[in-house]
Amino acid sequence: MQKKTAYSFPDEILEHVFSFIQSGKDRNAASVVCKSWYEIERWCRRKIFVGNCYAVSPTMVIRRFPDIRSIELKGKPHFADFNLVPDGWGGYVLPWISEMAGAYPWLEEIRLKRMVVTDESLELVAKSFTNLQVLVLFSCEGFSTDGLAAIAASCKNLRELDLRDSEVDDLSGHWLNHFPDTYTSLVSLNISCLGSDDVSFSALERLVGRCPNLRRLLLNREVPLDKIANLLSRAPQLIEFGTGTYAAELRSDVYSNLAEAFCNCKELKCLSGFWDAVPAYLPVIYSVCSRLTSLNLSYAPIQNPDLTKLVSQCPSLQRMLVLDYIEDSGLEVLASSCKDLQELRVFPSDPFGEEPNVSLTEKGLVAVSSGCPKLQSVLYFCRQMSNAALVTIAQNCPNFTRFRLCLLDPKIADYRTLQPLDVGFGAIVEHCKDLRRLSLSGLLTDRVFEYIGMHAKKLEMLSVAFAGESDLALHHVLSGCESLRKLEIMNCPFGDKALLANAAKLETMRSLWMSSCSVSLGACKMLGQKMPRLNIEVMDEKGPPDSRAESDPVDKLYIYRSVAGPRFDMPPFVWTMDEDFASELS
Amino acid sequence: MGRPTSSSSSIDSPNHFAFSSTASSQRDLTTDLRLGLSISIAPPFVREQWPPMKAAVAEEEHECNSSTFYVKVYMEGIPIGRKLDLLAHESYYDLIRTLEHMFHTNIIWAEAEMDRDHYEKYHVLTYEDKEGDWMMVGDVPWEMFLSAVRRLKISKC
Repeated sequence: MQKKTAYSFPDEILEHVFSFIQSGKDRNAASVVCKSWYEIERWCRRKIFVGNCYAVSPTMVIRRFPDIRSIELKGKPHFADFNLVPDGWGGYVLPWISEMAGAYPWLEEIRLKRMVVTDESLELVAKSFTNLQVLVLFSCEGFSTDGLAAIAASCKNLRELDLRDSEVDDLSGHWLNHFPDTYTSLVSLNISCLGSDDVSFSALERLVGRCPNLRRLLLNREVPLDKIANLLSRAPQLIEFGTGTYAAELRSDVYSNLAEAFCNCKELKCLSGFWDAVPAYLPVIYSVCSRLTSLNLSYAPIQNPDLTKLVSQCPSLQRMLVLDYIEDSGLEVLASSCKDLQELRVFPSDPFGEEPNVSLTEKGLVAVSSGCPKLQSVLYFCRQMSNAALVTIAQNCPNFTRFRLCLLDPKIADYRTLQPLDVGFGAIVEHCKDLRRLSLSGLLTDRVFEYIGMHAKKLEMLSVAFAGESDLALHHVLSGCESLRKLEIMNCPFGDKALLANAAKLETMRSLWMSSCSVSLGACKMLGQKMPRLNIEVMDEKGPPDSRAESDPVDKLYIYRSVAGPRFDMPPFVWTMDEDFASELS
Repeated sequence: MGRPTSSSSSIDSPNHFAFSSTASSQRDLTTDLRLGLSISIAPPFVREQWPPMKAAVAEEEHECNSSTFYVKVYMEGIPIGRKLDLLAHESYYDLIRTLEHMFHTNIIWAEAEMDRDHYEKYHVLTYEDKEGDWMMVGDVPWEMFLSAVRRLKISKC
């Protein structure tokens, strides 16, 4: 029945109102109010985020949103970072670039994460998007410096080029020369992932020298320490800087030049790089320390007392990334010096060693949780933990949004009571009501999952490994965690029951990854038939699933919701379980 | 390129720990181990996956794209290594021929025959696999070798 609406606003007014709504979620909500809002909204949407590039097709996006200026796409599942996703799985950006080339000539921003980006794609980007301002390739692969050269040569309006954590084939360091001499708009450049032949230093110096708006510069490891001073002197307006190798023979001229250069960077707030850092050159940054809000020493093998001394000089730190050389003692100093700390990441210096090489335990984390009231985000690698410590941490930090604990022995019990760590993690989810991301480790039974299902109502991403005893654990999570979007599981004894019983839940999530679990091929097929809007991908490098029994467990399973249907770019070791699965095999 | 090797090859190797024969025989034993039988030393395939960390930038020792696969080759006693494109070769025989040429020596590998009286003229070819172990070249099919190899070493006999 057609009801006459009371809206008498002209479309332009609504469009103007919508222009104040920036968040994708809010825009999505507005678009389902009524058909006219849907129409108006889709014409004026400028920015789109696609969390799984296979959840929707480029055609569908373009059809709905005719004038996008900024796109963010994510490809491979998160566990690809840890080599769990075999090469060739997918995540190709070319189909997207090809279609957007025609549809979005005014595209300004492209942000890609864990996608395969070829030189061909980059050349097409360079050719098609003359107004490109931002190109972020986060953990991408498949391209070389030739592709970068094409971007440099054509994108006159480029402000930001960020290659963080990408794998780039080094063919020539001269790609930087392709930025024309007239090009001066660079604001942010992150080339920290590039290898030895990838950067012509003189081209870099000239580029930095002619870009007065450069605020962020993250160099690659191969830039030697004695070149830094010169570079910094050309860019004293930098806010964020990443060094190259931070090791060299101590020479007084190099030292004093560096100290002076850092001193002249009055706006420097973030430092990173520090590969192979030696203590001798640390004091050159002391003049900057009091202003530092972010410090990344995760590549620096600096030990105490030098490390602690450095940290104690940075009272404004909000974000700290460091190796476990900091030890409990250093973290205690951090706790007492850095009251603004929001994020802490402690990485292992010797992850595969059988004996601890440093004195970093749960005590360090407890100290920071106690001393830093604003602490929200933690990633902590260590060798021992206790329920008591976790309870204390939870009580100290009810504002946690991200908590990731990684015990180097993945199934280790509470070292004091020899109990599982269920109660400890239970306290985390119970006290931290805003927790959005959680990674578990240690000896864990089904109990901890019961706590998670009961309390973790805002949890969006959960990572589990070597935990749980039965399907009940998975059932608790799938049935209890209302906000769950991403679930990744490896090496847990979870089988078919919980998955099949909670099939509908999977459509409310972005994705589920399960590897080395006990989900049977038969269950995958059943899910595929029951749930047409889920893509059920089974990965097995040993051979096609039809050669094995229905009850055989699948090696890797990746389930994601999609309105685009099954994809067609799968490598030979990936099979989609859909209604036609049986007939597809030949 | 660069697919992880099946873990069963390392489990079957006599170098690794013996596991209980009471493990369920219906499923692949590797699956049981992955399901968390408590083991005091982390087996190599667990090592590969745990702790979950991104590969350090320093570990980019080989480059892979669709047409080349360069690995480093060191000869014992010579500090400066060479680089070799494995994909430019069709088989082990091809590879051995290139290496013998590159390093001016006779190469011993799994299928070589050696004149035992003149061992000083020979070098043994080994490779480092994804688990960090040094293995003799030539035991596994060529494609499997390509997916496992990280670098090569030529040692004196």
